[in-house]
Amino acid sequence: MLRDKTMKKVMQNTTPQAITLTTAALFKYTLFSLIFAAIALLTVILPAEYNIDPTGIGQKLGLTVFHNVKTVSLPSQAGVEKLAATTETIAVIVPAGKGVEYKFIMEQYQKLEYKWITDSQPLYFDLHGEPKGDTTGYFESYAIATLDEMKGSFTAPFAGSHGWYWKNETDVPVTVQLIVKGEYVQHGLK
Amino acid sequence: MSNIMQRYVLFIFIALIALWLPLEVFAHGVDERTRAFLLQNTGVQIIPFLYIGAKHMVTGYDHLLFLVGVLFFLYRSRDVLLYVSMFTLGHSLTLLFGVISDIQVNAYLIDAIIGLSVVYKGFDNLGGFNRLFGKSPNAKLAVLIFGLFHGFGLATKLQEFQLPDDGLIANLVAFNIGVELGQFSALAFILLVINFWRQHHSFTRFATTTNCILMSSGFMLIGFQLTGYFVN
Repeated sequence: MLRDKTMKKVMQNTTPQAITLTTAALFKYTLFSLIFAAIALLTVILPAEYNIDPTGIGQKLGLTVFHNVKTVSLPSQAGVEKLAATTETIAVIVPAGKGVEYKFIMEQYQKLEYKWITDSQPLYFDLHGEPKGDTTGYFESYAIATLDEMKGSFTAPFAGSHGWYWKNETDVPVTVQLIVKGEYVQHGLK
Repeated sequence: MSNIMQRYVLFIFIALIALWLPLEVFAHGVDERTRAFLLQNTGVQIIPFLYIGAKHMVTGYDHLLFLVGVLFFLYRSRDVLLYVSMFTLGHSLTLLFGVISDIQVNAYLIDAIIGLSVVYKGFDNLGGFNRLFGKSPNAKLAVLIFGLFHGFGLATKLQEFQLPDDGLIANLVAFNIGVELGQFSALAFILLVINFWRQHHSFTRFATTTNCILMSSGFMLIGFQLTGYFVN
C-alpha cells in the first residue's frame, strides 16, 4: 500500500518522457518488432490483400478466399470473346437508394447496340467509359439523364470498360432489363 | 466503492467501443457508396465532404497509430495541444496544396511513409534515438514533417476522383475541417484511454511492449504498402 502511494507520487512528479533501454535491449525489441511484422505480413496480410502466399499458411487459414471469389463471380473469362454479335438479355437489380455499375469490356472501336427499360421508376444514369489500366479515375460520359427506358448504340472511343451507372433514389429496388447486341469481351457488375 | 464502480463502468465502456471499432476500421479508404457520391458530385457540398473527411480520419488506422505514438508520453495538455497543432498544420498544408495544384503522388509510397512515421514514433518512444545518437530528433519538427506526408496521403485519396473544379475549394476546405473534427473525436478517445491507463502501474510496465507493438505495426504498414506498390 505504501509502495503504491510512493509509486504514484513518483509517476506524477517525474513524468518520464521516454523509456530508457540498454543498447542490447533496444536492439532486441527492434528486431522482435521487425520479425513479428514480417511473420504477420507473410502469413496473414499479403495472402489476404494481394494473394501473395509464400508460406502457404494464408491458404491453410483460408485467407486467399477474397481472391478466389473474384474469379468465380466474373461470368466469363477474358479471351472468350463474343465477337459474333448475339443478343443478350441481362436483368440488373438496382437496390433502393443505391447505385450499380454494369460494364462491358470492349476494345477500341468495338460497337454496342443497346436497349434498356426499368420495371417501374425512372433512374438517374451515366453511360460512360473508363480507359483500360487507368488509375486516375478518369472517365468519359456518353449520356447522362434520368429515364425509364432508352435505346441507342455507341462505338468505344478507347479500349476499356464501358457501361452504365444507375442510381436508384427511390426506396424500392428497381430492375433494369438490358438487351445488348455487339462486340465485347466480357461483362458484369462492377 | 463508488470509485471502483466508476472504474468498471469506464472499463466496460472502453471494451465495448474497442469491440465495435474494428468493424468500422475495415472501411478505411473510400467505400462504394462514397465513391458513387464523389463520382457524380457537382457543386458545393459542405456537409457530405465534412463527413467524408471525419470518417476518413476516424477509420484511418495509420493516422491513429501515429497519434497514439505521439500522445503516448505527452502528459500536459499544453503539449498535447502544441503537438496536435503541428500535425494539423502539416497535413492541412499538403492536403490543400496537393489537391489544388493537382500534384499526383503515388498513394502506396505515401502510405508507406506514413507507416515509417509510426515506426519512427515507436522507436523514439523506446528511447532509440537517444540511445544510438545521444539525442532525439526534434520531436515537434518531426511531427510537422510527417504531418505533411499524412496530408499528401489524404490528398491522393481525394484525387482518385477527379473532383470537378465547380465548388472544389469549398468542398476541399469542408473535407479538411471534417478531417480535423474526426481527428478531434479520435484524439478525445485516445487521450481518455491513455490517461486512464497512465494511472495504473501497468502503463509503466507495458510501455515498452506497447511501443514495440506500435513499431511492429508500422513495419507491417510499410511492408503492406510497398508490396502494393510493386504489385500494381
